[in-house]
Amino acid sequence: MKPAPFRYAAAQSLEHALALKAEAGEEARFLAGGQSLIPAMNFRLAQPAMLIDLNPLDDLDYITVDNGALRIGARTRYSRVEHCAEVARWQPLLAEVLPNIAHPQIRNRGTLCGNLSNADPASELPAVMLAAGARMHAHSAGGDRWIAAADFFINLFETALQPDEMLVEIELPALPARSGTCFIEVARRPGDYAMAGVAASLTLDANGRCGSASIALCNAGPTPMAAAAAAQLLIGGVLDAEAIAAAAAQAQEEVEPNGNVHCTADYQRHLAGVLTRRALTSAAARARQGTSA
Amino acid sequence: MNPIIGQALDRADGPAKVTGAAQYAGDFTASGMAYAVLVQSTVAKGMITGVVQEAAQRAPGVLHIMTHLNAPRLPQGGKAAFEPPAGRMLSLLQDGVIDYNGQPIAVVVADTFQHALAGAAQLRFSYEQQPAALDFTAAKRSAYAPKKAGKEDADVAWGDAGAGMGRATERIDHVYATPMQTHNAMEPHATLAVWQGDQLTIYDSTQGIAGARKTMAKTLGLDPSQVRVISPFVGGGFGSKGSVWSHVVLAAMAARTLRRPVKLALARTQMFGPVGGRPRTEQHVALGAGGDARLTAVRHDVVSHTSVMEDFVEPSATQTRMLYATDNAATTHRLVKLNVGVPTFQRAPGEATGTFALESAMDELSYALNIDPIELRLRNYAEKEPHEGKPFSSKSLRECYRIGAERFGWSRRPRQAGTLREGNELVGWGMATATYPANRMPASASAKILADGTAVVRSATQDIGTGTYTVMAQVAAEALGLPMERVRFELGDSSMPDAPVSGGSMTVASVSPAVQAACLDARAKLIEAAIAPGAPLAGATRDDVTTGDGWLALRSDPSRRVSFARAVGGRGAIEGKGEAKPGKEREQFSMHSFGAVFVEARVDRDLGRIRIPRVLGVYGVGRRLNAKTARSQLIGGIVWGIGMALMEETSLDPASGRVVNASLADYHVPVNADIGDIEVVFVDEDDPHVNPLGAKGIGEIGITGVGAAVANAAFHATRKRVRDLPLTLDKFLV
Ligand SMILES: Cc1cc2nc3c(=O)[nH]c(=O)nc-3n(C[C@H](O)[C@H](O)[C@H](O)COP(=O)(O)OP(=O)(O)OC[C@H]3O[C@@H](n4cnc5c(N)ncnc54)[C@H](O)[C@@H]3O)c2cc1C
Repeated sequence: MKPAPFRYAAAQSLEHALALKAEAGEEARFLAGGQSLIPAMNFRLAQPAMLIDLNPLDDLDYITVDNGALRIGARTRYSRVEHCAEVARWQPLLAEVLPNIAHPQIRNRGTLCGNLSNADPASELPAVMLAAGARMHAHSAGGDRWIAAADFFINLFETALQPDEMLVEIELPALPARSGTCFIEVARRPGDYAMAGVAASLTLDANGRCGSASIALCNAGPTPMAAAAAAQLLIGGVLDAEAIAAAAAQAQEEVEPNGNVHCTADYQRHLAGVLTRRALTSAAARARQGTSA
Repeated sequence: MNPIIGQALDRADGPAKVTGAAQYAGDFTASGMAYAVLVQSTVAKGMITGVVQEAAQRAPGVLHIMTHLNAPRLPQGGKAAFEPPAGRMLSLLQDGVIDYNGQPIAVVVADTFQHALAGAAQLRFSYEQQPAALDFTAAKRSAYAPKKAGKEDADVAWGDAGAGMGRATERIDHVYATPMQTHNAMEPHATLAVWQGDQLTIYDSTQGIAGARKTMAKTLGLDPSQVRVISPFVGGGFGSKGSVWSHVVLAAMAARTLRRPVKLALARTQMFGPVGGRPRTEQHVALGAGGDARLTAVRHDVVSHTSVMEDFVEPSATQTRMLYATDNAATTHRLVKLNVGVPTFQRAPGEATGTFALESAMDELSYALNIDPIELRLRNYAEKEPHEGKPFSSKSLRECYRIGAERFGWSRRPRQAGTLREGNELVGWGMATATYPANRMPASASAKILADGTAVVRSATQDIGTGTYTVMAQVAAEALGLPMERVRFELGDSSMPDAPVSGGSMTVASVSPAVQAACLDARAKLIEAAIAPGAPLAGATRDDVTTGDGWLALRSDPSRRVSFARAVGGRGAIEGKGEAKPGKEREQFSMHSFGAVFVEARVDRDLGRIRIPRVLGVYGVGRRLNAKTARSQLIGGIVWGIGMALMEETSLDPASGRVVNASLADYHVPVNADIGDIEVVFVDEDDPHVNPLGAKGIGEIGITGVGAAVANAAFHATRKRVRDLPLTLDKFLV
């Protein structure tokens, strides 16, 4: 099908985009890469009265690095981030996840901010934001604010963004020394959304014990699911097979998968356990080798 | 000169396809054309009690809404044109009865496609719903015997299976299951219907233009001479385009009412129901063997579903009647009726599902007997067809096993399952036998040698992506003595000489002898013209003339020669005709292709995920007319077999009867990255009996055996026997 009728405005500047959004409110949607929005409109699952096109905003196409902290703008497409050496160096988790998202053609158009604003719990990226401790920078005509990833994803396709707000950039903190990360997923077919996936980030303390840990899963509940209790089990301990197995078993308890036409909820839960164990095992090895990924 | 037949030539239609020049059914237009959209029922069983169509009627551009209330009455009341499955029970809006969810119940026609879609979205139906039969397991209680199973009897037995089973020292007795599947050809079905007075032209995506013509004529009450069917390119059919389905007739009905051409193209989701699909099967296989590993008895009892509308049988036990030597066998087919769309032939109907059951059971028996699976098959090798005792026209299955084992490295395979491991992956090797009958039907062709020294050869056959254009041009070029580039082969128009449906892997076997005959006829006439008094080769005898590379020359004096162009001369063209049909040899011989397929499976120990890094298929399929298209067909079949083994399943919502995964996002078929190395090897065969060219047919055998070979490899890796397809990950968790 084709979309229902809508008005279209090309944003001339960030201020212009925000002003248009302030005026139109929920009726209007931002158009980023269009890789989720346009299919939804063609199926008439989404029928926005107006699109505010962010694609002209070249100045929001950036990746900056400040002391290892990465900032990525709203117009920055996946493929740029995927092929950026600085990203691989400072946030290997992000570099590792990108090839798992969709197909190259889609990554040439889709944006990270579009993905996160879409808040699809099946998507890999929100889980990575949780595991990496990212922050979201929201702007409105009235001002701006930072939202922690943990507070950003409210429910299925629902974020903390207000109707007049736009996600303008994201920030990922620098990965400390002696850290290792890992992302793994299992999909029925390469390029498809995963049946479940796990992002893990570990940092060792000076004694080689686990200083900090974070684990988050995709397609395992109504939002990206942080396995906080599982991560807590690791902290202060040695990252051996036993500790990792215990954390994996705990992660399996923390997810709330729903099942779908490709797999049962039981299988997703099983997957959550196995993948968490594997992700933690590689992340720990990388942290020990100091190779991060 | 090298023979042209057999060469690995590129597809003649390749450039047209990759440049978009090839016109598929949906690409045709006609002046004044209107667009139709099919509307489907949203309940599985009941009656339509009301139609609310005012809004749709008023929607922009809507020209016509056809429902059971106003559809033209058809002369036979919309009954199947021919006894099913030759004709199908269609949904032609002759009454308000609903037999399945997704049944065509209306057609909305508008000036543009978008207007038709928007109009259709506003059409509302009310129903009186009735309880629908959707539960296969429950319906099994009322399973019944169909009249036939394919071309054979539903039940075939010989010897005494019960007694044979009693004598066995090892027995395998299990139920194997395969799910509903959907063909999903890349090109969705599409039809453009154009009336000129009482003459109907149909541009259709079909595997059988001759059959479509007859079916359309009978259904609409026309003489076949009033119907012409055109189908130059078909983007895959796999059986789903072997029948005329409702939308084709509905397009013609709407076009007649509106007095303008109407195009009706199905959406992908509409291909899950109204255009056939593979039925679900449950197959009970029992094998008994003595200490010598010889089969003392074989039982194969098949239950498959059909639609309440029509009996269609998936003849899964047919290969069991010919594959292994045994004195005692009993095979049956039973049907259960469900409120679903009419199922139909799907690539290797019978053998694709049947070999999964039989070849899995053979694998199980090999473990029970503790002998190598190939050895088990060799011990039970059928030297002649086991039931009627007919000799095989050719059979190199023993060679296939031997070459396959050698190339795959089978001797390195540990007999015991569950012993190979690399990292997280359990590794297993499995094999299975592949087989498919060598079918053939009557066909005809014409060949015209033109004054410019080129030839046009025609037959009303189809190229469903298999290479008919290329292969027939090769046969023609060689028979005529012309280079390939000077032969044009045309097909896909029912006004050409008749040819059979492109199904049952029989296009090459049926049509190439007719093409060859037509070309030899034209060549003979050309020679006559060239040796006539006053002609360039005057005085020569017929037998002294050879043709090659566009020349006629004398064997006795090659310096005396004349080009085809000059030989045609002032006649303008020389035309030959050819007909070919199977004869008595079919009663004397049993005719089948055979092969052996070998699979390596790697199963993630914790996740149950199966990867197939390599497959080897070795086949004896008679003479290959084009080495490249032959190989491609088999690779395609193997890929499909992998999909059948690991992914494909049409899921029915048990409450509503609706297909819940009616899209290519949710109905999984393999993508490139899912497929590892596939190697295809041929055993050369010279079969003088099947047909004059010795070709046994290649299309369907590739999928057969693959499901079992994958399951057998997965068992060898994991010691977990999964007897229901697809082999999803959860089934391999320990
Ligand atoms: C075939 C296919 C396969 C895919 N597979 C995957 C996959 O495996 N994993 C995966 O994660 N994704 C997958 N996707 C989705 C893809 O990643 C999308 O690109 C992404 O989800 C959205 O990014 P976008 O820039 O295209 O956003 P758009 O589609 O343009 O927008 C998405 C939503 O976010 C809103 N929005 C966009 N930008 C902003 C902003 N700056 N501030 C506020 N709101 C905004 C839009 O209004 C819209 O509601 C797939 C898509 C396709 C078509």
